[in-house]
Amino acid sequence: MLSKKRTISELLHEWRYDEELKERILHWQTLEGRPASYAPFPENLHASLVKALQARGIEQLYTHQREAFDLAQNGTSFTAVTPTASGKSYCYHLPVLQKIIEDKNARAIYLFPTKALAQDQKNDLNKLIEQSGEEILSYTYDGDTAPGIRQKVRKAGHIVMTNPDMLHSGILPHHTKWVSLFENLQYIVIDELHTYKGVFGSHVAHVIRRLKRICEFYGSKPVFICTSATIKNPKELAELLTNESHALIADSGAPVGKKTFLFYNPPIIHKTFGVRRSAVLEVSDLAKRLYIAGIQSIIFAKSRVRVEMIVTYLKELTRNKLLDESVRGYRGGYLPSERRVIEKGLRDGTIQTVVSTNALELGVDIGQLQACIMTGYPGNIASAWQQAGRAGRRQDEALIIYVAQSTALDQYVVNHPLFLLGSTPEEARIYPENMLILMDHLKCAAFELPFSIEDTYGEYDIQELLDYLAEEGVVFKTSDKWHWMSDRFPAHDISLRSASQENVVIIDLSIPAQTKVIGEMDRHSAMTLLHEEAIYLHQGIQFQVEKLDWEEKKAYVREVDIDYYTDANLAVEMKVLEEDRSRSYNGGMISFGDVGLVAQATIFKKIRFGTHDNIGSGPIHLPPDEMHTSSSWLSFAGPEKWTEEELTDAMTGAAYAMNAFIPLFIQCDSSDVAVVPQVKATHNEQPTFFVYDKYPGGIGLSEKVYELWEELLNKTYQHVANCACEAGCPSCIGAQDSLQQAKRKVLQVLAILQAENE
Amino acid sequence: MSYENKILQMKKMLGKKTAAPSKVQQPTFQKPTNPSYTEQWKRAGLTVVENDFGIVFKREVQYPFTYQHGHYQLQSFFDALKKWHVAEFDHPYALTVNEPVLFFDTETTGLKGVGTHIFLLGFLEVIDDCFLLTQYILADPAHEAAFLFESKLWQKSVTVITYNGKSFDWPQLETRWTLHQKTLPKLQSQRQIDLLHSSKRLWKNDMERLKLKSVEEEKLGFSRKGDIPGHLAPIIYLDAVKSGVPDALMKVLLHNEWDLLSLITLYSHSTQLLFEEEHEESAKTFTNIGKWYGDLKESTQSVRVLERVTTQFDALEASNAQYYLALQHKKSKRYSEAIDAFVASLHFVEARTKLHVLEQLAILYEHQMKDYEQALYYTQQGIHLIQSNEQWRAEQKQKWVISWEKRLLRLGNKK
Repeated sequence: MLSKKRTISELLHEWRYDEELKERILHWQTLEGRPASYAPFPENLHASLVKALQARGIEQLYTHQREAFDLAQNGTSFTAVTPTASGKSYCYHLPVLQKIIEDKNARAIYLFPTKALAQDQKNDLNKLIEQSGEEILSYTYDGDTAPGIRQKVRKAGHIVMTNPDMLHSGILPHHTKWVSLFENLQYIVIDELHTYKGVFGSHVAHVIRRLKRICEFYGSKPVFICTSATIKNPKELAELLTNESHALIADSGAPVGKKTFLFYNPPIIHKTFGVRRSAVLEVSDLAKRLYIAGIQSIIFAKSRVRVEMIVTYLKELTRNKLLDESVRGYRGGYLPSERRVIEKGLRDGTIQTVVSTNALELGVDIGQLQACIMTGYPGNIASAWQQAGRAGRRQDEALIIYVAQSTALDQYVVNHPLFLLGSTPEEARIYPENMLILMDHLKCAAFELPFSIEDTYGEYDIQELLDYLAEEGVVFKTSDKWHWMSDRFPAHDISLRSASQENVVIIDLSIPAQTKVIGEMDRHSAMTLLHEEAIYLHQGIQFQVEKLDWEEKKAYVREVDIDYYTDANLAVEMKVLEEDRSRSYNGGMISFGDVGLVAQATIFKKIRFGTHDNIGSGPIHLPPDEMHTSSSWLSFAGPEKWTEEELTDAMTGAAYAMNAFIPLFIQCDSSDVAVVPQVKATHNEQPTFFVYDKYPGGIGLSEKVYELWEELLNKTYQHVANCACEAGCPSCIGAQDSLQQAKRKVLQVLAILQAENE
Repeated sequence: MSYENKILQMKKMLGKKTAAPSKVQQPTFQKPTNPSYTEQWKRAGLTVVENDFGIVFKREVQYPFTYQHGHYQLQSFFDALKKWHVAEFDHPYALTVNEPVLFFDTETTGLKGVGTHIFLLGFLEVIDDCFLLTQYILADPAHEAAFLFESKLWQKSVTVITYNGKSFDWPQLETRWTLHQKTLPKLQSQRQIDLLHSSKRLWKNDMERLKLKSVEEEKLGFSRKGDIPGHLAPIIYLDAVKSGVPDALMKVLLHNEWDLLSLITLYSHSTQLLFEEEHEESAKTFTNIGKWYGDLKESTQSVRVLERVTTQFDALEASNAQYYLALQHKKSKRYSEAIDAFVASLHFVEARTKLHVLEQLAILYEHQMKDYEQALYYTQQGIHLIQSNEQWRAEQKQKWVISWEKRLLRLGNKK
């Protein structure tokens, strides 16, 4: 048999003449490579570290690694933006190890967003230490650390690798057991900085303020070293997260190979409703072509179920080969040992194709592959670049294929390649000022060390808040200090990862003897997605909600197979509590401030797949939900002579489209914010769009939207106008009940809102 | 109003620092002012001690040597000391006659973490002609340094006897001390005797719960009247500090006092058991004691205790003693005695031990007695036991059978 193996350029050459592909690939773009830029080893780099690097075949550093070393030596906190495979770990390993070799009392904390990443890095670091021949002790400290060695880690570990959750509840509240660490802490390394955003990032910002407070008590002043994937605001994020000013290393000296990007849109199979062929099938076909050509590739899919679907499809290729493991899945839920085998297989080439969730976006070491396929837009540019970064071996050519799904955002991206290739990635936002989060951590901080009556906490003046905690009876004021005075252990009541204090737990009753929890959902979303009789989709499987116990916050679901979905109406009343800022806009007004929101789910409709017929409806009996959050709103004068109903429909469609586009501008999920139209807002009787944060107290997202309305409205208008559908579809203004003039009216409203061209 | 809304209303109270004020170097220690309730607590019977770091409340009670607490008088402690003085073996709980001893127990505001305060340090020690109870009560958290300093634990060198002190009271004390490391002299590390550990060794398989209260009732003949439950202590102290009213706090002091008195008699009782002078105890307890001596490599003492169990109790009750006795004999190379004791235990011990006994018998007959017939017999018994047992996991059984069958094969060849 003829060998079908091909290089990427040979394959691309073939594809240029493939009729079917030609039609579906909307855009080809090649980015030229860039050679490495090097800097010599620092003169004072310890001989044993030079030896260790040389043992790995490294004779000089990339410029960013050298810059990192010099800054750290100087005692300057810094953040390095490091693309995949740029040798980022040397940015912190080298200065940290150098320091410990010079001073055996010196200590460092490495913070990784997950336990698995810490384990990964430990192996790499230990190998480096071994090659240096130095006696330096590094340990991971997390829930898996055996009780027998915990004492040793606390007393003797030079480098402690842990995660924010463990720091929060396992280390800081017991800091007296870690005296030698806190007295001698020289460096705090925060890897994967870009993952600290939203609610989680805001929590971690406080964990770090608490950490710094404890360091101050023991007399140490550690330097922060952060590494981040490419985001718009790495320096700002690092500074807000650590409350410390940072130098920025923006340019990587690592070489970049030539990259070809293909933008691929699955063919339309139902013209009226704009339905396209499933992206999963298209991706499987493309992956198969790469497999046959002998190109080592990684396929990203958004859910575990999709990963399994694609793997099953691709395994067909190896069906006749016994013990062939060249196609593998990789996702959360696999055992650590299983993951290690896959990672090794990718590095040594025995695995040719791996299908993964975003689990492999993070710094897990799998070496470099040749091609990457993205099933849908990962939600933000930063993630897209991280996924794309998995392809490209040193100087070699790499292929990245973006396959669009039918959602609004995906369709926008496939039609606007410059958006992905040309624009700066989003900002990562955190909002440590969220009062709920702040109060939680203020309690932990008071537990850890008393506050004096002159103390601040981080950048905040908290004396009045402590007064409140005293009234609540958890702190006690003596002549000059506030002392924790309660038998509670506050860190246990606070999870850094949960979005809301009261989530609804989803329990699957499908197998009577084996009921299990399959997920949770915030209270606010649960009203419209988990009401009784709702059809709840979980990883592609349909469930029907049988009972929603609102008091206990439990939803009981059972697997079903039916041909409709449900859509609930949520009546939302917005009350402006306080207007912090406002500006005039195009005859209307844009504001930002606090809102009180009362949401009540009213009725739900059953809508048939495909035809979108309304085939039934029912009432929802749930109490109204109140929330105090931050919001940005836009009030405007509506088109003349429209009925209120017309305006409601048009604004609803416009809000749907806007909601889908907010993640284009800020790193968040489209479910972190909501857009609510009010034909007559209570505070000014004008048609108003409210964009609000779906987390009590706000999380800084709508604050950002306040500055972005022009761009948001512009992008939304362009997209709806250019959408291929006739009367509105899920890709633009949402599925429409009937083929009315919905799309035209939405465009009319959006047109009014376009910024004047001056 | 919901908790959430209440907190969010407070947004205005959050001040944001504009410029970081250059932090003034913390002044050296400043003596805190006295709490407003000082006089009130004095009236309740507490005295005030003042030192360089503030004040601490104190309560003292003297007990004559003849004071009766449950079954024992406090002076039983001296009998215990005499026994250790003439003992022919060594033991981790032994005390020497001139060793200064401090019975120690604390009460705290929580279970763990730096936010947990110790608010009561209770000491009981021998002075010239009596036992002296001294309790130090934290005046308020600002006076913690004064409270710790007054304990003199930075100064004296004593053997500290506690109940669960090794893993709770002492580490808590170290935590509090660490917080004041800039002001206080270093905490001395002391020899520790933890009577929870010894109670576990003595009454394993005999008592279900080893709370001090249960030990008092079942072993020491003491039952408390009008005691407050220990878990309420935190709330009571918090309330006393907040309200200034010390009434309930005085009950916590009494609770702590009882704990300390029981520590003395528990020490006496445990010592008597270790010297086999207490006859009320069960075969299980004495078997535990014999095993403990064995683990401590005090073979003579171990054999003595275990042999007495085998003579004083029936075969069923003494079966475990026979088993441990056999292990001691084997270790001392008294093989035929070992075989006798193993055989005596064989029919009464639980299955897992029984399997071990059969294995030991097979080994002894094969390697020491060279009696392959007998060795084969016990090997077959062993295999039969594994196969007929329904509790063990199949995998485990298979593993065992494989190794036993190796022995069987070897013995078959030898015969």
